[in-house]
Amino acid sequence: MSELLIKNACVIDPLRGINAETMDIAIRDGRIVEEVSSAAEVIDAHGALTLPGGIDSHTHICGTKVNFGRYMSPEDMRAGRTSRCGPMHATSGYSVPTTYGNSYRYSAMGYTTLLEGAMAPLEARHTHEEFLYTPLQDTMANALFDGNWGIMEAIRDDDTKRVAAIIAWTLQAVKAFAVKLTNPGGTEAWQWGKNVSCIRDPVPYFEVTPAEIITSIVEANELLGLPHSVHLHCNNLGTPGNYTCTLGTLGLIPDLNPKRQTLYATHVQFHAYGGSGWKDFCSKSEPIARFVNMRPQIVIDMGQVMFGRTTTMTADGPMEFNLYRLHHDKWSNHDVELETGSGIIPVLYRRKNLVNSIMWAIGLELALLTESPWQCMLTTDNPNGAPFVKYPEIIALLMSKKYRDAEFATIHPDTGSRVPLPAIERELDWYEIAVMTRAGQARALGIQDLGKGHLSLGAEADVAIYPIRIDDVDPSVDYEKVIEAFSRTEYTIKRGRIVSRKGDCIVDGNNATFWVRPKVSDDYDMGKDPDFIKKFDRYYTVRMRNYPVQDEYVNRSRCIETEAEI
Amino acid sequence: MKVTLTMKPVARSFIPIEAESIIPKNFLSGTDLSVWRGNRELSLDDIFSVSVEGEADNPEDVEIVISGDGLFRLKRVGEYMDGGKITILGDIGMHCGNFMSGGTIEIHGSADGWLGREMAGGTILCRGDAADYCASGYRGGRKGMTGGAVEVFGRTGDFLAENIAGGIVTVHGDAGDMAGAEMRDGTLIIHGDCSRPAANMKGGSCYIYGTAHALLPTFKKIGPVRHEGQTLIRFTGDIANRGKGNLFVKDYKYLD
Amino acid sequence: MIVKDVVCPFCGCLCDDIEVEVEGNRVISVGNACELGTTKLVGEERMKKPILRDGGEWREITYDEAVQRSADILTSAERPLLYGWSGTHGEAQCVGVHMAELVRGVIDNTSSVCHGPSILAIQEVGHPGCTLGVVKNRADLVIYWGSNPIDAHPRHLSRYTYYADGFFLENAFRDRKIIVVDIRKTETANVADEFLQIEPGGDYAVLSALRALVRGKPETIPKTVAGITREQLIRVADLCKEAKFGAVFFGLGLTMTQGKYKNIRNAIELVSELNRHTKFTISAMRGHYNVYGSNEVNTWMTGYPYGIDYSRGIAFYNPGETTAVDILARKECDAALIIGSDPAAHFPRRCLEHLADIPVIQLDPYPNATTAFCNIQIPVAVTGIDAEGTAYRMDGVPIRTRKILTTDYPSDEEILSRMYALMQEEQER
Repeated sequence: MSELLIKNACVIDPLRGINAETMDIAIRDGRIVEEVSSAAEVIDAHGALTLPGGIDSHTHICGTKVNFGRYMSPEDMRAGRTSRCGPMHATSGYSVPTTYGNSYRYSAMGYTTLLEGAMAPLEARHTHEEFLYTPLQDTMANALFDGNWGIMEAIRDDDTKRVAAIIAWTLQAVKAFAVKLTNPGGTEAWQWGKNVSCIRDPVPYFEVTPAEIITSIVEANELLGLPHSVHLHCNNLGTPGNYTCTLGTLGLIPDLNPKRQTLYATHVQFHAYGGSGWKDFCSKSEPIARFVNMRPQIVIDMGQVMFGRTTTMTADGPMEFNLYRLHHDKWSNHDVELETGSGIIPVLYRRKNLVNSIMWAIGLELALLTESPWQCMLTTDNPNGAPFVKYPEIIALLMSKKYRDAEFATIHPDTGSRVPLPAIERELDWYEIAVMTRAGQARALGIQDLGKGHLSLGAEADVAIYPIRIDDVDPSVDYEKVIEAFSRTEYTIKRGRIVSRKGDCIVDGNNATFWVRPKVSDDYDMGKDPDFIKKFDRYYTVRMRNYPVQDEYVNRSRCIETEAEI
Repeated sequence: MKVTLTMKPVARSFIPIEAESIIPKNFLSGTDLSVWRGNRELSLDDIFSVSVEGEADNPEDVEIVISGDGLFRLKRVGEYMDGGKITILGDIGMHCGNFMSGGTIEIHGSADGWLGREMAGGTILCRGDAADYCASGYRGGRKGMTGGAVEVFGRTGDFLAENIAGGIVTVHGDAGDMAGAEMRDGTLIIHGDCSRPAANMKGGSCYIYGTAHALLPTFKKIGPVRHEGQTLIRFTGDIANRGKGNLFVKDYKYLD
Repeated sequence: MIVKDVVCPFCGCLCDDIEVEVEGNRVISVGNACELGTTKLVGEERMKKPILRDGGEWREITYDEAVQRSADILTSAERPLLYGWSGTHGEAQCVGVHMAELVRGVIDNTSSVCHGPSILAIQEVGHPGCTLGVVKNRADLVIYWGSNPIDAHPRHLSRYTYYADGFFLENAFRDRKIIVVDIRKTETANVADEFLQIEPGGDYAVLSALRALVRGKPETIPKTVAGITREQLIRVADLCKEAKFGAVFFGLGLTMTQGKYKNIRNAIELVSELNRHTKFTISAMRGHYNVYGSNEVNTWMTGYPYGIDYSRGIAFYNPGETTAVDILARKECDAALIIGSDPAAHFPRRCLEHLADIPVIQLDPYPNATTAFCNIQIPVAVTGIDAEGTAYRMDGVPIRTRKILTTDYPSDEEILSRMYALMQEEQER
């Protein structure tokens, strides 16, 4: 039995409605309890800001395409190297750190739960292997279904239940957590070198449209009772004028779930562009935010761009190829049979570049113009917009108009005529930041009932104590202090153990992986479906028996069983 | 200030010694420096007999003279050097003068691989030969050398000045295979022969006063020009790579 | 007893449809595999116990003694080399990385003598590729460059390319074209629709010419390039541009030819250029069944795919300097651990001379050429037969190899973990 008592913590816990109350937190055997004995280890927080452990709802940290990013970028790897030290292994990498690098750096920032944004089911084993070596955070992965043949055929045949059945079989086979769509239909078209131009554009051969794919899979997701909603990377990412496609997509979504959103639209900054080309490129964050404000069934995340070098990596193969043609740097592509694809290219976002400056503004605008912080999560689509170590700077920008203005003065001088940012006065407060970096994620992912994202009795004791006393600091003025505080916790506690202390990780981790197993009836068990089995054997190059991810790959398994309506 | 480092005779170990601490700037604060042999940290005087004459206030006034047997396994001398002089009375190991931005390195013997890698300024003179990757970049492409001057009096190995983006590289003897590969800017001068020069060139100028063997079939012949008292044939390319560089050769042969 | 869907632990094809008949702890017969895979699965006489070189003789020792001595050798070395890795499972490769980090030595794998150049090229220009099933279902043009799969990857054509059933191809065999590029007429060239016989060393020039032709710039191309006529070059460039889906596979014929990684780079840049016209991918024909796995493991753990030097605490990567052949040839290491490969069978003589001079530990089930150079050899289970673990196919798809029989041999992972635990204890003292 291990006990820990945190005294004098200034707690903000939005899922409990607690806003800056000083209290003690008692922890026993990894969970929050009412009180502990006098044998407990005691930490005095001295009134420091104490939040539930950070949750990143969309980050690229583990798996085939992430490793591609590392593999092809030795110049990025050498930019961030540390030696083995105590229990910490050596790390490398700046924008695509090694798995230990990711884990230690996230831990230093107080993050205890991470969701890998995109995992091709055929290669899920690779993601799980890397999860094992990201030991200080609990992990979960989105499985990609955007180019799934079986599903597109079922949609063409108007059989939503079969769509749900295929999703159910796949999720439990590869131990995935949620359903991801990246450029739905486009990734299949890209396997012929083509793309889809809008949500009504049919996919070659399969003849279903992205709109049909999205609506059908959203419905199927709800039939399966999954904790998270469909997680969508809209079509036309990065294209000037794409905001209309984004609005059209969001407009397809009904309100199907009382506990959470029906659609999580990710890195919406990349999908909020106006103009008809690069010359008249501008921000359309306002109509997007207005739309989201009127629809509780939509949650978005920012996908904030920050200046400097980084690596872009997504399942959106055609988009990455176009980006490569723009940047003339190196380009990797990896299409996955019957399922999806990916592309990876390094980029440099420059202040002197007008388009980059507008992109930087858009992410901030989305967060400031979305009224409820519960509807807009803080992310950079790590590392696509920027490496996650930039989150503290983003927090500071959202909390301080003064900081925004100071930064605005350093970017391209024409930006002001293309974006509404300078006129936005709003400054987020500590509570709103807490929502956007943990409480909101927990609710959007459907894991608050698993004890994540809050510190109620019985919750997992994942706690981050930041070296800042909010009464002593005015975040709209002292933004440097905000950045410093969120960059390095005083303590990061995971399941009741101190794992990080002032930036140094002090234990080997023992993380858990969350995944789902929807329980379907025998009629909808694809493991017994002759057509599914026949097509699998004929067209995949891996045997169906060897496809599922074996138990050996998950360290501590947290399987969430759901009751499906099929 | 003159710092004399004489390598002590050692047993048969060939394990390389990493000596990136040997730069003029570091000797302004004394001689208590570390070098590494494999994974062992050693002090400078474990490996060298050290003697210092005179004083100096800035790196420009520091000269280091290195001599002894076994210098061929001494790596990273002069790394990040920004001023002053290093003279090597013999051969030198890999990575001499990497990331250099100022000062002079003079090697009386030959240099092992990656001489002057990613150099940004300063001068390197090598009286002997230089092995592969002289004046080149690091793995991962992008820019290699961006400034400064490297001059080799003997021959060079393969991939001379790979990824060069600035500065000037001169070799008096033959260059090996693929000199100036991926060249984007800067100047490369080869007095002897070479093979497959300027492969995938994007920009910059490459002059060959000898014969270019196995010239690539994707350079466009423009015509004869006079340069430094010689007649050279000018090509532009590499067409395969949308390149607009200039390649000047005295003589050439295709691989047909 | 028949075991189905067995994963063959031989080459980068990583076929997982093998059927094995097992009796007791012996493999009786193998179905579906090629000859190379069958030989591997049937196996041969294994070493019984760990052996130690004592003066001029070998004597048997216990696993505990072997593990202890090995740990001592590696921790006292100034520059230990941990080499091989391609013939074992990922879980063992991970322990290897932790070990290299702890003893502050160099960890390298067989890529450095095989497709290392391919990796260097990818690091310069990226890798436009796909999984093998994408090729199987779509490719109407397949190019084998410097690769002779009929010989080295016998089932490649039937599982993934020429003879494979494809979803989008009505009659896969008739609807696909094959181009072979090589310096001599190989068996694979015999089934090709178009064969380019290149002068040795001429691949780079031919690739440059093809790139210019694809760009629509034929003016600078001479009448022949490295033995190939301009007409044939134009024909090939057109075939590529007209294909609906082209897949290039290349092997050691391209990686080991003068220029090495530049050849691969040029081939990748050709494929990237072709993507402006149609769909094209390129892939390396990896040799060992888990060499790509060692690249993947090394990358996610150290940041680099092979040739990683931890002497200075941080990972340092520089092929040509931190790779096994170079280190051995220059005598730059003072101890070696060899696992999942047989360097004495392939390395240059200079390397073997040094290997003979330093303490060497080998983990291998069988006596091999390297045995003659060892001080200690520890027999281990064979991954895919009596040990299981993860392997990565040549296209990056990870498959778990199966354990089809049980023996008393410990796996590579077990032995390495025991060594690592002893090393950690030693360090704490």
